[in-house]
Amino acid sequence: MSLDQADPAALPAAGPAARKTGRKDGGAASARRGSNRRAGRWWTPWLFLAPALLLFLYFKFIPMANALTMSFQEVQPYLGNKWVGTENYSTVLHSEGFREAAWHTVVLAAGQTAGSMALGLALALLMEGQGRRLGFVRSAAFLPVVVPIAVVAELWRIMYHPTEDGMLNGILGMVGLGPSGFINDPDTSMASIMLTGIWRGAPYDMMIILAGLTSVDRGLYEAAKVDGASRTQRVWHVTVPGLRSVFSILFILAAIRGLRVFTEVFLLTNGGPDGSTEVVMTLIYKLGLEQNRLGVGAAGAVLLFIATLILTIVVHLLRRRESK
Amino acid sequence: MQRSHWVGAGFLASALVLTSCTSGPAGVSAEQDSKAPLELWTRTTPGGPGEQGTLKLAAAFEKATGFKVEVTAIFDDFETKLQQRAAQKNLPDIVMNDVTQLGAMHSQGLLREIDLGKIKSAEQIIGQGLDSGKSVDGKQFGLPYSAQASALLIRKDWREKLKLEVPRSWDDFAAMASAFTTEDPDGDGKNNTSGLAAPLSTKRGYASWYFSNFLWAAGGDFITEAGKGTYKPTMSTKESVAATQWFRDLGCKDKVIQPGAVTMETPPTNETFEAGRTGMFVVGPYLLPRFDETLGKDKYEVVPMPKGPKDATVLAEGASVYLMAGSENMAGQDSFADFALSAEGQKIGMQGDTGFTVQLPVNKTVDVSAVRPDPRWKTYADVYENSGRYAPSIPNWTPVRQTTAETVNALMADCDLDVETKLGELDKQLADILKEQGIAAS
Repeated sequence: MSLDQADPAALPAAGPAARKTGRKDGGAASARRGSNRRAGRWWTPWLFLAPALLLFLYFKFIPMANALTMSFQEVQPYLGNKWVGTENYSTVLHSEGFREAAWHTVVLAAGQTAGSMALGLALALLMEGQGRRLGFVRSAAFLPVVVPIAVVAELWRIMYHPTEDGMLNGILGMVGLGPSGFINDPDTSMASIMLTGIWRGAPYDMMIILAGLTSVDRGLYEAAKVDGASRTQRVWHVTVPGLRSVFSILFILAAIRGLRVFTEVFLLTNGGPDGSTEVVMTLIYKLGLEQNRLGVGAAGAVLLFIATLILTIVVHLLRRRESK
Repeated sequence: MQRSHWVGAGFLASALVLTSCTSGPAGVSAEQDSKAPLELWTRTTPGGPGEQGTLKLAAAFEKATGFKVEVTAIFDDFETKLQQRAAQKNLPDIVMNDVTQLGAMHSQGLLREIDLGKIKSAEQIIGQGLDSGKSVDGKQFGLPYSAQASALLIRKDWREKLKLEVPRSWDDFAAMASAFTTEDPDGDGKNNTSGLAAPLSTKRGYASWYFSNFLWAAGGDFITEAGKGTYKPTMSTKESVAATQWFRDLGCKDKVIQPGAVTMETPPTNETFEAGRTGMFVVGPYLLPRFDETLGKDKYEVVPMPKGPKDATVLAEGASVYLMAGSENMAGQDSFADFALSAEGQKIGMQGDTGFTVQLPVNKTVDVSAVRPDPRWKTYADVYENSGRYAPSIPNWTPVRQTTAETVNALMADCDLDVETKLGELDKQLADILKEQGIAAS
């Protein structure tokens, strides 16, 4: 190697000359070089994705892999984890508490999803339009979504006060009912938590449905009206089918949110009274973090993840079949 | 495409490698550096008087020994946050937390054994206090720096208005609770008061915690030692069933416990007492400064719990200094424990009207009346000495407390449940827990 070749200053001079000759070659050689260049840049998209991927890797995928490993271990951070095979899974699956919690979770997820979507649709239909005042009303209706869940839980605890002078019991009393124990009675606790969830989830659904409503063809309403369809018939036969894709997205989001329900249950009842509101997440929390059985808790978390994954895949498959 | 697959696989592989790196056993013995600042975690409200008290204690310790201490106060989900640090294998050097946390932390290897030879003040510690820091195998893994026991708080003005005597028996207790509920003791003409305040939520096992004061006084027990360090469940014995039935009647039959108790933890329960909704509360002395301020010192009185069918045993508790594993300043850890237990440390911990970290002193040479002339503290000290009983040292007390709390909560929430059947089921669950911990009597 000569000194000239090693001199970096010599390279820029050589570069353009080489490219010039390259262009002159034309045809096949140029195409080959072009494809080489494209192939050489295979990493460009990865480079752009790298920051997000690194964050995901560190904060999502590694903890997930960790939880998966932990679900097969007896976790003792300072003594060293012991491999116990599928014992944790067997503990979880054979425990009656887990089966009950899974059932409660499904009931709560289904109730909150259906309730939020129905109430969200009703609110959206009431608040659809361009009026200036509607904007204010919509923002006011959206408030429950932006209020921190801890505040929501405390407010509802006060409203659910189980004596006659409690706020909701006062209303029940006016119509000759109650007083109800609400979250303090095992018979009504699940419905009470569901109601809180619906109150909080409905405005979110309302916003998305409102966005979906703008894409429904106005002409169809007019045509239906001309054909003599009543208001209810117009909603049922024009609006609802027009919102099908919105509903399916809302359904996935709400169902996943429902399966992972934790905060409102934890703050309002912590799974009680008499375990009537115990859901999978509160049980995992108790097992893993209150009783320090992290392996068993991790096994429960993995099972919940699998259930969520299956639900998402099933809904996707159904949607795909529908669109065909 | 092929290459991108390889890159994806590479990411996954590195994730797994990193995962396996972080799940191996940790080195308990870290390289020592006596100048390293000690990280201290205490379970108290951040920014509250408890934190101020701990800061004062830490400052006095720094002045006396030259070691540096950094105090962090955490109240909510303290154990969860500790678990997170354990997972990172970067525990604080010192933890000041409830005595009952010993088993859970010890069984996870989070604590290091304490060499009493290095803690001079240990000789001055009250016997039952020192025992509360021993693990099931008799080794010392915690040192108490503060003790407390439960006593009965009564709305004095209500009691006097209804012309009632301080309760001496459980019958008096139930009668007073009933009178406070039905006879409008606050005189507002409304039926809005209850006899007894009780946190009966399952969170942190509160229902079990509170109920133990009644269970033990009736001669019942959660689990009983059956020789050679083994235990058997005893929630379905005659005494335990009777105690549960009696306590349950307060809620279900007499309806003298505050409405909503089954979903209440301590903060909302405290509020019922200070807001004049409840008239009696069985609780430790740590709430006196709070109630003095919100309710008024003259409005309530502190008396020992009335005698139950067996005696007046109440729950004794307290907080311990735990020396955490993996510390790089073990000399500093020992020195802090020694200081916190010494007469000087105890007195500093007891100073002030609200910011104290020491409720009742555990050091025999410190007289509570000399530091705090308020006679209510003497009442608590006497109760602790004569009737206080700690939860037993088993590998992990938390599941026992949690499971019993769930049953007590269920029985109080659903008055149709059969007490004996439920307690029989509880005994089976307790037997499983004892077996899992390797201390079940055969």
